[in-house]
Amino acid sequence: MPRSLRVRLLLSAAIAIFLALAAAWVAMTLLFERHVERRIEADLIREGLQLAAALSIAPDGTPALEQEPGDARFFEPASGLYWQVTTGKGAQSSRSLWDQHLPAPVNASSLEWRNRIVDGPFDQQILLVERIIRPERSGADVLIQLAHEQKSLHDARQEFGNELAMFLAMLWLILAAASWVQVELGLRPLRHVRNEVETLKRNPRERITAAHVAEIEPLTLAINELADAREKDLSRARRRAADLAHGLKTPLAALSAQSRRAREAGATEAADGLDQAIAAARAAIEGELARSRAAAIRAAPSGDLTPALPLIESLVGVVEKTEFGSKLVFEVNIPDELRLPVASEDLLEIAGALIENAARYAHRRVRITGESAGGGVLLVEDDGPGIGPEKITEALMRGGRLDEAGSGHGLGLAIANDLVEATRGAIMLTRSDLGGLKVTVAWPASDVSALR
Amino acid sequence: MRALVIEDEAAVAQDLAQALSSAGFVVDIAAEGEDAWYKGSVEDYDVAVLDLGLPRIDGLSVLKRWRSAQRTFPVLILSARNDWTEKVAGIEAGADDYLGKPFEMGELIARIRGLVRRAAGRASSTIEVGQLVLDTHRMSATYAGRPIRLSQLEFRFLDYLAHQSGRAVSAGELAEHLYGADEPGDSNAIEALVVRLRRKIGPQVIETRRGFGYLLAGDGG
Repeated sequence: MPRSLRVRLLLSAAIAIFLALAAAWVAMTLLFERHVERRIEADLIREGLQLAAALSIAPDGTPALEQEPGDARFFEPASGLYWQVTTGKGAQSSRSLWDQHLPAPVNASSLEWRNRIVDGPFDQQILLVERIIRPERSGADVLIQLAHEQKSLHDARQEFGNELAMFLAMLWLILAAASWVQVELGLRPLRHVRNEVETLKRNPRERITAAHVAEIEPLTLAINELADAREKDLSRARRRAADLAHGLKTPLAALSAQSRRAREAGATEAADGLDQAIAAARAAIEGELARSRAAAIRAAPSGDLTPALPLIESLVGVVEKTEFGSKLVFEVNIPDELRLPVASEDLLEIAGALIENAARYAHRRVRITGESAGGGVLLVEDDGPGIGPEKITEALMRGGRLDEAGSGHGLGLAIANDLVEATRGAIMLTRSDLGGLKVTVAWPASDVSALR
Repeated sequence: MRALVIEDEAAVAQDLAQALSSAGFVVDIAAEGEDAWYKGSVEDYDVAVLDLGLPRIDGLSVLKRWRSAQRTFPVLILSARNDWTEKVAGIEAGADDYLGKPFEMGELIARIRGLVRRAAGRASSTIEVGQLVLDTHRMSATYAGRPIRLSQLEFRFLDYLAHQSGRAVSAGELAEHLYGADEPGDSNAIEALVVRLRRKIGPQVIETRRGFGYLLAGDGG
């Protein structure tokens, strides 16, 4: 069984139509043959009745005819149309029979017209009708036989059959084409649904539109419910992971209080061990939170377009409050209308990590630029020492760096890189004309247009 | 100096109180939002350490209530929620700093000292230059009645110019004031700062006198 519904429907329609037309061909040919046979039989009987009307018996007991049937074919030898009248004493026959005879009757006493198909004169197969009549009430029986050869009938049937077959083949093509159109029309709503499911896959917040045919609607409703459930599950899982990670932080803070107390009591070694464990747990939590956020974005990319300027200004407002941020000038060159294809909370994390990282290393200036090229570009530059080309890969590397204790240069960049990749953007590290690191985050244009 | 510690986890609260006491603070503890809001409203504290996840009233709401009641003491948010969405919400609600849990006690004490020092250095006065009003206590500004959010650096820049009574100040002098005499002057940073301030407040506020430097324009320039 082919897997394509269209091929299945088309094949089965073509086969069913073919079978129906073939049966029609057989039946119609048979009907045609019977019809022609009956016509011939009726003609023969009519001629037979005329023959009987003209029939008498000569005194010597042989049949005599006042008048022979007039059909020209009776006078032409082997024409295929014959008659013959026979009594016990002798017989007369049409000239077309020439020196041949029609076969002797099977049931010699029938007073009804009977017909049969037999091998006749001139090696012809013939349709023979025959009966006994008694021209004089007390006279002898006369056998009247009329025959028509079958070959012309066979020829006619074959010709009819061929023409009918051609006509039916054309009909088959037309019906197959019609069923193809029907299948296409029938499957079109499904293709429509498939396209919509495609957009739903790209953006889980999309839903399938309500305008669907009645048969498809239950399916689209079910898909929409599934999408709702998936979105709910995702956000619940994400919330739980975040809650779990955050829930661990306060106990960790309490643990670090214990460590301080232990240190004050002189148990320096124990306190060192505790501190190391706390730092490792903290780094693991931060890494996991970042990873789960990235995974959640990957699983459910947002179709949001977030206005960049107010969000970046808010972030700058936060970083300006930090110890290193308070000494810096932040240049924000972002067009008012710039919108980036990232959900606002994700853009906050990406830009926050980048700006904080830049502020940590900047000497005096941090420049944040937004461009609308492609899907949108965000540039964060500083006038700090920058990163050597050999360290760039390491700085962007996920996993390894995230799990290491402490939060070095790599942490912010690695978190941002993870999130940027999850939002289908790309991050690039180069040297800024300010002297330090220039981080370029570019999102592809196709996403924006696809989600609009 | 008085500090208010708002933290519902008793062990962490005790630890904070102990550390702040050793650093010379007199510490009050509030374990839930309503108590915190009440204490912050009636007592004068030099600094508050605020946890966000609190029973009854959450930390952000407490902070917003204080700020709308003109309680201006510096507040450091100490929260398990360490993402930028929370940080932005905290700072925009009026916090002065933000630290994620778990934290290094040393870093926390250093930041609290920094906050107290900054707040203590401010005389409670305002300077007006044209339509620009600088509040030296809250390190904030309004222009034609519209509040302007300024960073420390931006405030110090405007404050310095405001005290020059119309004199044009060179980029070099400004750099020396902002970054210290031992740092090499960086006129690019000053230019960038001017661009940013003009965008925040309006293009006409800071005038450039070619060859002399910058000055704050009074009424009508």
